[in-house]
Amino acid sequence: MCGIIGCINRDDAVDVLLNGLENLEYRGYDSAGIALAMGEAGTAVMKKEGRLKHLEEAVRANPTLQARTGIGHTRWSTHGPPSDANSHPHTDESGRVAVVHNGIIENYQSLRDELEARGTTFSSDTDSEVVPHLIAEHLNEGKSPREAFEAAVKRVDGSYALAAIIDGTDQIFTTRHDSPLVLGVGQDAYYLASDVPAFLEHTRDVIYLDDDELAVLSPDGYTVYDPHGNQVQKEVNRVEWSAEQTGKSGYDHFMLKEINEQPTSLRQCLSGRVDELEGTIEVEELDDLPVPQQVQFVACGTSYHAALYGAHLLRQSGVPASAYLASEYATSPAPVTEDSLVVGVTQSGETADTLSALREARSRGARTLALTNVVGSTASRECDHTVYIRAGPEIGVAATKTFSSQLVALDLFIEELLGSEGRNEDVRDLIGALRSLPDEIQQVLDETNAKHIVDEYVDKDAFFFIGRGLHYPVALEGALKFKEITYEHAEGFAAGELKHGPLALVTRNTPIFAIVTGEGEQARKTIGNVKEVEARDAPVIAVTDGVSDVERYADHTLSIPETDPRTAPMLANVQLQLVSYHMANHLGREIDKPRNLAKSVTVE
Amino acid sequence: MNIHSAVILAAGEGARLRPLTKYRPKPMLPAGNRPILEHVLDALVDADITDLHLVVGHERDRVQNHFGSQYRGAPITYHVQDKQLGSGHALLQARDAIDEDFLVLNGDEIVAAKTVQQVIDAHTTTETATLSVIESEKAAEYGAVRLKDNRVTELVEKPRNKQYHLLNRGVYAFGPSIFAEIESTPRTDGELSITDTISRLIERDASVKGVRTEGIWSAATYPWDLLSVASDVLSRGLVNEPEVAPQTYVADTAHIHEDATLHAPVVIGPDTTIGPQAVIGPDTAIGQNVTIGAGSVIEHSIIDADSRVDPNATLVQTVTGQAVDIGAGVTAPGGPADVRVQNTIHENATLGCVIADRAEIGGATTIAPGALLGPEAKIQAGGYVTGNINEGAEVRR
Repeated sequence: MCGIIGCINRDDAVDVLLNGLENLEYRGYDSAGIALAMGEAGTAVMKKEGRLKHLEEAVRANPTLQARTGIGHTRWSTHGPPSDANSHPHTDESGRVAVVHNGIIENYQSLRDELEARGTTFSSDTDSEVVPHLIAEHLNEGKSPREAFEAAVKRVDGSYALAAIIDGTDQIFTTRHDSPLVLGVGQDAYYLASDVPAFLEHTRDVIYLDDDELAVLSPDGYTVYDPHGNQVQKEVNRVEWSAEQTGKSGYDHFMLKEINEQPTSLRQCLSGRVDELEGTIEVEELDDLPVPQQVQFVACGTSYHAALYGAHLLRQSGVPASAYLASEYATSPAPVTEDSLVVGVTQSGETADTLSALREARSRGARTLALTNVVGSTASRECDHTVYIRAGPEIGVAATKTFSSQLVALDLFIEELLGSEGRNEDVRDLIGALRSLPDEIQQVLDETNAKHIVDEYVDKDAFFFIGRGLHYPVALEGALKFKEITYEHAEGFAAGELKHGPLALVTRNTPIFAIVTGEGEQARKTIGNVKEVEARDAPVIAVTDGVSDVERYADHTLSIPETDPRTAPMLANVQLQLVSYHMANHLGREIDKPRNLAKSVTVE
Repeated sequence: MNIHSAVILAAGEGARLRPLTKYRPKPMLPAGNRPILEHVLDALVDADITDLHLVVGHERDRVQNHFGSQYRGAPITYHVQDKQLGSGHALLQARDAIDEDFLVLNGDEIVAAKTVQQVIDAHTTTETATLSVIESEKAAEYGAVRLKDNRVTELVEKPRNKQYHLLNRGVYAFGPSIFAEIESTPRTDGELSITDTISRLIERDASVKGVRTEGIWSAATYPWDLLSVASDVLSRGLVNEPEVAPQTYVADTAHIHEDATLHAPVVIGPDTTIGPQAVIGPDTAIGQNVTIGAGSVIEHSIIDADSRVDPNATLVQTVTGQAVDIGAGVTAPGGPADVRVQNTIHENATLGCVIADRAEIGGATTIAPGALLGPEAKIQAGGYVTGNINEGAEVRR
């Protein structure tokens, strides 16, 4: 996955491009580059392998690099290793055309063979480079820049958000297919980017391009064309996120800032949706949702763990439900009918695997619902229904506040499905628990001892996380977070599965984080599993509300307040987020940008 | 002169406001139902300050989480003061970020934009320091000032001497040379204070200007002062919520039962629920996400965010922290009362009680006037509470 940006303004686009790339760095960061339309001087390209600051230094060292029109790119490798040559923007042989691309061009090999057969020399290993060469060929045939761009795009299959500048114009040509792209409309300035935060400090007025629409940005305006070349009027939306939400606010890392933001983001998620006086829960977006016979969740990574939680709760209430990894869903699709609802859980709303699973479900007749954070995202536009989790922008690559907001939004969604008839008591309990949750999370943040506990377990061989029932997804999420940012080996297991295999891995050098709340049957069984590992000398860290006696078998305890079983997972998860954060910090990892990972993965 | 930057001192705990400051610094305590610091930043932004520097320390997460990296479009830079060694020491933390004349304000005292503007207008590059003064009978309890024309001839902290009638409002303009002056000021009890530095400047005949300013000045030294601060901000409408009736401010997302009664001045925060027959106000501020049960009566009080008051409680002159849980039928009948703060008894304070963060008061408990309940204190139902209850203490009948 990569990020692209483009800008036309009245004075100098360079700062806008560099700032924008910095705000997009979460989308990929093994190389970056910009291209500027320098008028008579032609097109200038500057690109560097490595972090954005390398590019910035190179650009600053050359003060003649100034232009009102430019495009930029931050890259996360899919084709060819990170290198200056493989960085974007890519140009044609003559350097007249510069292109940035996010996505994957599926027919690039055949296009490349064809171009090479006609004598074109390629200078990189990337799929993207075919585009500037195609544009150049069409220009040579005498087509206008827009026609040449359009003609080149028609040859390309796959997923893409593309932007190009071409010598002789001060315009930017851009289009998308299955990859995100938004336009920004400012004061005498126009922007495009993979994601809104890239230009949020300049404008909050945005246009979401639909698949295969093509836009031409000029110094004096913009024009959008439908796939047949007809001009279309697009709605200008105002984004409610403010730029203030994308700074680090005095924290060392976005991740820690976002962990600390959870009381606020959860209040935001709940606002206006739960009514304690009436004892009702209502998600306005879902007023017209028919009650499904069965629910299937599709999701990836952290969102998949949220999906497991949702499926568990639905089954508990007697609704057939299951969660699938989106990338596997299409390989053996579960049967659906028109009374099935397929729910895609995706923070960005752009996760390619999840989008493709949703399309698969839709094509077989199911209703679809997106549970997402991003208004106007592809998932929200393609699905029949959307629930917004309202977590605000999340910049840290490791998902934290969006996970807790996904869980709460799933609670609300499920209540909306079930209705309150005959279960008033249950709904009232949940409302009370949800309204208490922001402060209970604050309490965990105020009182946590995760940092001190982590210091005791540096240099262990592996870290295991176990939980049962609703705590099983939390165990998986705890391990995923841990491996993502500490680079240490971590696995999450259903507590009962330990003895069916993983127990062979357990030694005195494998700390076990065990989540146990309440004192019911599930707690008792998990305590039994804790004893199994304790007998093998493994250190045990209990994440518990203190109701059971699990602390007796634990070396350390991470305490959470006692609450409803449906909201206890959110609290346990905050402790595990802090465990991962402090371990990664102790190990000196790049917490906000872990190696090889990107925030939302827009390739399959 | 034109001034663009301000340093706001927001690192202090406010020991005399314990137990309310266990989890947040004094500037984050409520003035009405918004943090005091928010009022300070409003005044600055309204006076066209575009570059905000917050010095944070005690429980700084709460400041950072609340304000993020900008306030109303003005970027915020945070400077961490790890140990609270005085206002001068706090100011030094921002030294590297400041290179032209700038303002300094206390984050725990409410000021008006007008006051800020008057200081900006009065300050010139000839002055090493300009400070804002106001006529006040409280002068002797705070920083007292003597002026000759517009020169400050004396600045003295808490003189306890009725001859002083001008109060230092804690709004300053300085030239960048102030940092070196602070560094060369001898420490008093290990601390560096801005007023010590200014006193030295006065002694040295350096130019220190005093400007008489207008506009609200409201500050809290003791917990019960928060009630008068709330009354100050409510009477001036310094709240975020829309006015639905005269001096009655209710958030769009609050849900107030049609049979509940609101007595102005009163403010009800977002997502707060008020049950039937409840009577709220006057001079009462309710924070966000609060639940007030049926039939409860709350007057001259502050109920902070995430708290829950069960049915038929009566709370008069009560200040709560966040997420307190007050059981059904709890009664706190209000002051005056003798209150012990640290080791001093304050007689006839206007205080019902203080209930700090996450304290749980069991139903039908009676809270004697002047009680201070620590954070996470647990009072068993049917109890009687008086005096000071420690953090986390459990009180059984």
